[in-house]
Amino acid sequence: MRLNKPIVAVSTVALLALAACGGSGGGGGTPGGQPTDTFKEGGGSGQGTDPTRNEGPAPEIEGAQEGGTVKVISVAGLNSMDPSEAYYTNTIAILQQLVTRSLTQFVYDEESGDVILIPDLATDLGTPNEDFTEWEFTIRPGVRYENGQEVTADDVAFGIKRSFDRASFPEGAAYSNDYFVDGDTYEGPYKNKGDDYKGIVVDGDTLTLKMRKPFPDMAYWGSFPAIGPIPEGDASDPAKYSQHPWATGPYMFDEYTPEKSLTLVKNPEWDAATDPGRHQYVDGYEMQFDVATPKIDQIMLQDEGEAKNTVSFDSVSAPNYLQFKQDASDRLLFGSEPCTFMWYPDYRQIKDINVRKALAYAYPYKDAYAASGAIEGVTRIPGTNIMPPGIPGREEFNPLPDHEKGATDAAKAKELLTEADALGFEIKFLYATDDTASVDTQKVISAALEEAGFKATPVASTIADSSTTRADPSADINVRSGGWCSDWPSGGSWFPPVFETTDLDKEGLGANYAVFSEPAVDKRIAEIQELDLKEQPAAWNELDQTIQADYFPVFVTSYGGAALMRGSNVNNAFIDPTFGMPTMKDMWLTQ
Amino acid sequence: MTVAELEVLGSGGPEAPPAVDESGKKITGRSPTRIAFDRLRKDKVAVICSTAVLILVILGILAPLISNALGLKYADPPSTPAVEYLRFTYPKPEYGPPFGPFTWDHPLGLAPGTAHDNLARLLYGIRTSFAVALLATVLSTVIGVSIGLVAGFARGALDKLISFVIDVFLSFPFLLGALAIAPIITSRFATQPEILAKAQFFSLIGVLVIFGWMGLARLIRGQVLSLREREFVQAAQVIGVPTRRILFKELLPNLVAPIVVTISLSLPGFVAAEAGLAFLGVGLTGIPSLGQSILRGTQYYDQYPLYLWAPVVTVAILVMALNLLGDSVRDAFDPSTRQ
Repeated sequence: MRLNKPIVAVSTVALLALAACGGSGGGGGTPGGQPTDTFKEGGGSGQGTDPTRNEGPAPEIEGAQEGGTVKVISVAGLNSMDPSEAYYTNTIAILQQLVTRSLTQFVYDEESGDVILIPDLATDLGTPNEDFTEWEFTIRPGVRYENGQEVTADDVAFGIKRSFDRASFPEGAAYSNDYFVDGDTYEGPYKNKGDDYKGIVVDGDTLTLKMRKPFPDMAYWGSFPAIGPIPEGDASDPAKYSQHPWATGPYMFDEYTPEKSLTLVKNPEWDAATDPGRHQYVDGYEMQFDVATPKIDQIMLQDEGEAKNTVSFDSVSAPNYLQFKQDASDRLLFGSEPCTFMWYPDYRQIKDINVRKALAYAYPYKDAYAASGAIEGVTRIPGTNIMPPGIPGREEFNPLPDHEKGATDAAKAKELLTEADALGFEIKFLYATDDTASVDTQKVISAALEEAGFKATPVASTIADSSTTRADPSADINVRSGGWCSDWPSGGSWFPPVFETTDLDKEGLGANYAVFSEPAVDKRIAEIQELDLKEQPAAWNELDQTIQADYFPVFVTSYGGAALMRGSNVNNAFIDPTFGMPTMKDMWLTQ
Repeated sequence: MTVAELEVLGSGGPEAPPAVDESGKKITGRSPTRIAFDRLRKDKVAVICSTAVLILVILGILAPLISNALGLKYADPPSTPAVEYLRFTYPKPEYGPPFGPFTWDHPLGLAPGTAHDNLARLLYGIRTSFAVALLATVLSTVIGVSIGLVAGFARGALDKLISFVIDVFLSFPFLLGALAIAPIITSRFATQPEILAKAQFFSLIGVLVIFGWMGLARLIRGQVLSLREREFVQAAQVIGVPTRRILFKELLPNLVAPIVVTISLSLPGFVAAEAGLAFLGVGLTGIPSLGQSILRGTQYYDQYPLYLWAPVVTVAILVMALNLLGDSVRDAFDPSTRQ
């Protein structure tokens, strides 16, 4: 899924506008210069599932107090809050945790520092058939919208049908289109009016979802707000529904000014007995967006008055990190974002594998983190696997001999270049002239490339234009900087979007910024998707290694991390490693 | 120029030079420029300000020499990895403030994130500021004076046309123009980094000049309108002196005062404008400038005030010194002020 950072902040990491983002990453981390400590190897997030936790209410939290209003502040405004379209980390976090219920949900497990997938509206995590092409979910009774209307299986079916509509909800995730029967042709209930879509069968309170290819991860897709109940008719008009989606969770919209603020109040119709995952300890949420980063840092650092009840959706900025760590390290929430940031050499233009490898040796990892305003070891963690820590099956490896993670070796790069007879090879990469951090990063990278024997040609752009230029397959650049975040912990949400051949004329680059195209890899991806679920994790990990060893199409510049801030009255705020957002389901305030 | 002509200008002033000074030596007459210089020399503010400006100019011109002599790493970026100097963005305590004591190695500390030497960047920033302000001033003066002369001397349609053009330029918002041109330049020279830096430099000067010549043009036009009717001009016309010669040999020398005054007041204006545009992110981005340093400093103000204060104080001193100096120059050239 997409990161919620505005382009300004995003561009500080050398133009990373993450295309899509979401379901994995490591557990809670520790601060400090030891990057490898930040992730819990193998303790991946969201890998755990617990279908038996299907009875509400959620277990009481020891010592939790009721009342109070939690304030949320953030730099980034909210994009569409329509459940069918929400695909940014902040919009999904608010909807999924507080407002709208879906088939399944994630709950935070303090012991493992991890989230677990448990049932939500469905009574279990779904029953697939043998080859995962048909899923059956039973909707639990007694769930009502904020106006008292009963939630039925038909509502859920309507919500899912809505998730096919790419015209009305262009920013939404396209998994329904990708996997469901006729998903590539069915355009949702508005375009195909009266069309009886045959991919969803409702029988009483049972939903049967039919796929056109195996979809073992349906239970994870079921946790997205898009796979939840939406009332049919005028109430859910796509033009207006994002202003006030009907709440089924513990809180509902009170006042919402897009891009500015959102106030949530208790939803009186929410019944704790029907919800195995959420609590309703606080009276409501007041969220303020578009607040400048230095102001957020100051409010959180001072921790006075209302700030005590506040959590930030953003990491502490580099200028204030040190002071925050000294004065209030207990109020910093460390954790990971399930993202890998990479440099993508254009596979069509940089054909020699040795040149691509030389780039990985030449790249000034740590200097680039510093120049971009990131905090090494906290918000940027060096790595080598394409799959970030936390994805099942992942095993640490390094495709480059004698290369330490995050180390720069200009001599080795030069050696490789000389070997490839490509000294002076021109590297063209984007930066934004109107962003000092981007300019600084560009200079650091240019100098490092030149030192390694490349010819660095930074291509000037502006904050406004850079992501468009980067997404243009014919742009005059031969390296793209970007990243990818998983939607759920599986290699299946990594390799198909990032390394499968894309039809440049029809779909553009998509997330395949390297314009990578190897029939052998395409074939292997298709094969793995057909494999038994138990064999898949190891197979994805093997593919990760194969791709890097045989083709080396991209190199990892870092994994993402978060260091959010909380006020001193806020309890039970952790980093949800699937989003890099605070966990709000269990949050309570000291009165 | 002849004494007679100059006396035309000087005679109206109450401070006409005494015919005989204390030593009894006879003085034939002094040009207004000469008088102004004498008065400036006695003006303490002017002397202090010009010294300050002179020092800054020298610092700017000698920026590379000073940086090298002090062993400062202007190094863009430093030859050793920047992170060697940094700990969580800030310079390590052994490299000076904010967390370490003062060190001669880096008198103004290191920049967070990039580990550039702040003093070196400041010196180069002064250099940039002066270069921009000076070039913009010279160009806008040349353009303003020429157009003003022509408009004032030509009668009828040409004067009307030029006045109209001046009005058009005056009514166009400066900031909007600057904001609109920056991205165009960026995309035009996107793939040529060396040319881009130059293009930004000259487009900045271009913007400053395009929106900076009208005031002087109007002023000169007004002056010429009144001078044109004076006897010495009419005499020149009668004896058939070519127009070009009248403009540049008869009229221009009499306009030295307003021109010098305008120059001395527009210099600080351009320095401030350059800093302001850089702060908005539409000025120079490739080379160090004072505005950029301020922009960077604001993010770190709480933890590292020196990082912001150094460029702010420099800009303040520079603009204030130039402004006060301009005021003094104006007073010195103004015949109606008495000292």
